[in-house]
Amino acid sequence: MSDLANPPTAAPPSTLRNLVLPILIAIVIFAVVPAVLTSFGRGYFWQIANIALIFVLLAASLHVVTGVAGLLHLGHAAFYGVGAYTAGLLASEQGMPFLVTIPAAAIVTAAIAFLVALPTMRLVSIYFAVATLAIGQMIYLVLLNWVSFTHGPNGVLIFSGLEVFGIDLSSPIATYFLVAVIVSASIVLIHRISHSYYGNALRSLREDDQCADAMGVRTARLKMEAFVISAAFAGIAGALWAHTTGYISPSDFDFAESILILAMVVVGGLGSLPGAVIGALLLILLPEVLRDVGDVRNIMVGIVMFLSILLLPKGLFGEVSALSMIRRQFGDAWRRDENGKGIGWR
Amino acid sequence: MSDFLTIQNATRRFGGLVAVDDVTTRVDHGQLVGLIGPNGAGKTTLFNLISGFTPLSSGDVHFKGTRLNGMKPNRIARLGIGRTFQNLRVFPNMTVFDNVSVGAFGTHPQSALDALRSGSKRAETISERVWQALERTELAYVATDLAANLSYGKRKYLEIARALAMQPDFLILDEPAAGLNDSETLELANFIRSLHADGLTIMLVEHDMGLVMSVCERIVVLASGKKIADADPDTVRADPAVLEAYLGTDE
Amino acid sequence: MIDPYYLQQLVIGLSLGMTYALMAIGFTLIFGVLNVVNFAHGEVYTIGAFASLVLITAVAPPFVAVVVFALAIGALAGFSLERIAFKPFRRFTDEASLKSRAMREATLLSSLAVSIIAREAIELLFGSQQQAVPFEYLINQPIHLGPVIIVTGDLIIFGISALMLIGLQFLLTRTHVGLSIRAVSNNPLGARYVGINVDRTIIMTFVIGGMMGAAAGILVGLYYGVIFPAMGFIPGVKAFVAMVMGGLSSIPGAVICAIILGLSESVAVTFISSGWADMVAYGFLIVTLIFFPQGLFGARRERV
Repeated sequence: MSDLANPPTAAPPSTLRNLVLPILIAIVIFAVVPAVLTSFGRGYFWQIANIALIFVLLAASLHVVTGVAGLLHLGHAAFYGVGAYTAGLLASEQGMPFLVTIPAAAIVTAAIAFLVALPTMRLVSIYFAVATLAIGQMIYLVLLNWVSFTHGPNGVLIFSGLEVFGIDLSSPIATYFLVAVIVSASIVLIHRISHSYYGNALRSLREDDQCADAMGVRTARLKMEAFVISAAFAGIAGALWAHTTGYISPSDFDFAESILILAMVVVGGLGSLPGAVIGALLLILLPEVLRDVGDVRNIMVGIVMFLSILLLPKGLFGEVSALSMIRRQFGDAWRRDENGKGIGWR
Repeated sequence: MSDFLTIQNATRRFGGLVAVDDVTTRVDHGQLVGLIGPNGAGKTTLFNLISGFTPLSSGDVHFKGTRLNGMKPNRIARLGIGRTFQNLRVFPNMTVFDNVSVGAFGTHPQSALDALRSGSKRAETISERVWQALERTELAYVATDLAANLSYGKRKYLEIARALAMQPDFLILDEPAAGLNDSETLELANFIRSLHADGLTIMLVEHDMGLVMSVCERIVVLASGKKIADADPDTVRADPAVLEAYLGTDE
Repeated sequence: MIDPYYLQQLVIGLSLGMTYALMAIGFTLIFGVLNVVNFAHGEVYTIGAFASLVLITAVAPPFVAVVVFALAIGALAGFSLERIAFKPFRRFTDEASLKSRAMREATLLSSLAVSIIAREAIELLFGSQQQAVPFEYLINQPIHLGPVIIVTGDLIIFGISALMLIGLQFLLTRTHVGLSIRAVSNNPLGARYVGINVDRTIIMTFVIGGMMGAAAGILVGLYYGVIFPAMGFIPGVKAFVAMVMGGLSSIPGAVICAIILGLSESVAVTFISSGWADMVAYGFLIVTLIFFPQGLFGARRERV
């Protein structure tokens, strides 16, 4: 009891070691990738990089609800779409700047997710999956058929250039940096949420929600929060999509897109944030590499997903190894101590 | 103090079957009570009525003056009732530490916003509670192991540690000795006694009489859903109704 | 006097509902036996339509032969689907793992993956656009019944579906195979103990489900004259909704709900634009899930 009152503090050398991998990743995102892309000098590659980053964020946001909390979500693309339409319509019809549309997209998407979650959250397992599928399709139908508001199948063109504090960011490299900053910041937030005691409680819902209930965990409320948080980040991803592509239409947010995002999380390893990121990069970049073969992107998604379920049931980067990796490399909030004590989140 | 847990005319029917039939009993603060009965006597059902997993058909359950009828299990848990499960329900894909942290989280939750902060006071408290529970159950040295990799006996202690991390006022253990050998049962008995000595009120739901007789100061006996005895171990041992329930109608 | 237009919509709704019912039976049978949702069921529908279309363009057989061919292809598709997407995950045969959560999730995702592969493979072979159905095979010759005009397809779909439902009822109640299927649905372990070959029964379930799904696919394809790679998705979802509404494991429940769904949709399009018609099914689903968690005709089954 006495040594618990003074829990051992993290040893300083480990904090330094903790920073190595994050710094390396930051160097890759903010220096290596832009340098390589600049040397190629083709706008198309910048667009691919943006799409990859956006899908990294989408996969990471689905990771919160499906990977960590274990709720199979088959309508995630719809929330991505809500975010994209919120940002797109605000920018194209109200002339709102980028700095307004991004938070607006997150808030509107979270609010809609909250409303649809109210009746559906007490559903369990397959019923929940089906309800999310239905909700996703309903939102898609609204985007497609509410022509006076969403312009229906014609989609929305977003002309307003990217601009932050009067600085024009519409050049490919500036846009890339903007997307990279927002996606990285969001990933850090998702990382903090899923690797904390809060994240542990979400995991307990996935493992055995009845048992978590007996521990005093407010299961229904936590599920709802996970769903809303996940939707908010999907909304941010949608806003980024709307601003970087300059054109959105309902078909960008249909069921196949939900499945694509789900496949990323499954292929990477359910429950593993690095897995979700790797899965997203793999499923976006692999089809680009295979572009010469033909339009094989979607069939690749199916094949990769099937093989990974069959051969790697825990995904490319399973949760258990991911968690220990994260605690070793990214754990500025995770303290440890040589004599086995003082483990825990801060 | 006088009204810790009271159960009044608790009844639960499943279709035509009356699993718990008009049971009235109480547990006082600081007691170590055993709930025994032959298989199918309604022990686990009564237990689930207290912890909110099964709704009452009629009757009342009060805990420290609060009526528990119709409350969700997580609310009852937050009032201070911790429980373990008969058939070992640890979170297999989480470490021992993380398993126990869910118990601490349950009664001392951290919000998503708080999770974003570094060095939050809440997280600090949860860590402390987890360590206390791990040390109490001597699981600290396996804190970073996956729960699925623990031995059967260790998992029993993990369940208890998880409940202890909730810092409950009242702990209900559902058949903790099931599947343990004699020496492990003895060790468990000592552990339960030491928890009781720390001032925790405990209810032990058991099928097997041995453990209960050795640790409990009071024993409630159920048979076919009805309470047939409620007294100290020696009286219960001599009670002809109890003997008949165990020997006469044993399946 | 009821406007003949509404009667017409009712007839269309009935035949639409019958095709949903054929699909829903496949879902329900498979859910009963394995407790899993087969997300690739919609693709069986597509495969039935495409295979028949290939046959039609190749040899122009009589209509009956087309339907028989679709049934055979459906059986084959159901069989392959089980072997590819479900069997590899059934490594253990005790009941706990047969209906375990991990198994359910793995097969759910694998069937989803297989459905993507099947759909995209068809798209690579035939292109994503609609295929033209030879005019003489379309089942839309108008028939005048007093003031009501219906088409041959309504009668054909209704007739074939009714025949198949009767056949299924006979199969389930009067044959050894049907008995095995019902036994496995009730208690897979018990079925194994009394000597039922559970593996073969599961295959039979997929074969029967596949035949019904493929028949629905080609009938709808010839009725509307539209056959395209993604055609199975929407009917798949609708059939799924019917299954959930019917209580997951009740075949009569699923059939009745499928017909209710078909009727509601065809009535709904008289009030709202057809783009919104799919909303009816999703609305039904959400309402059912919230207010009737056991389904409208649900057998008392734990919500798993």
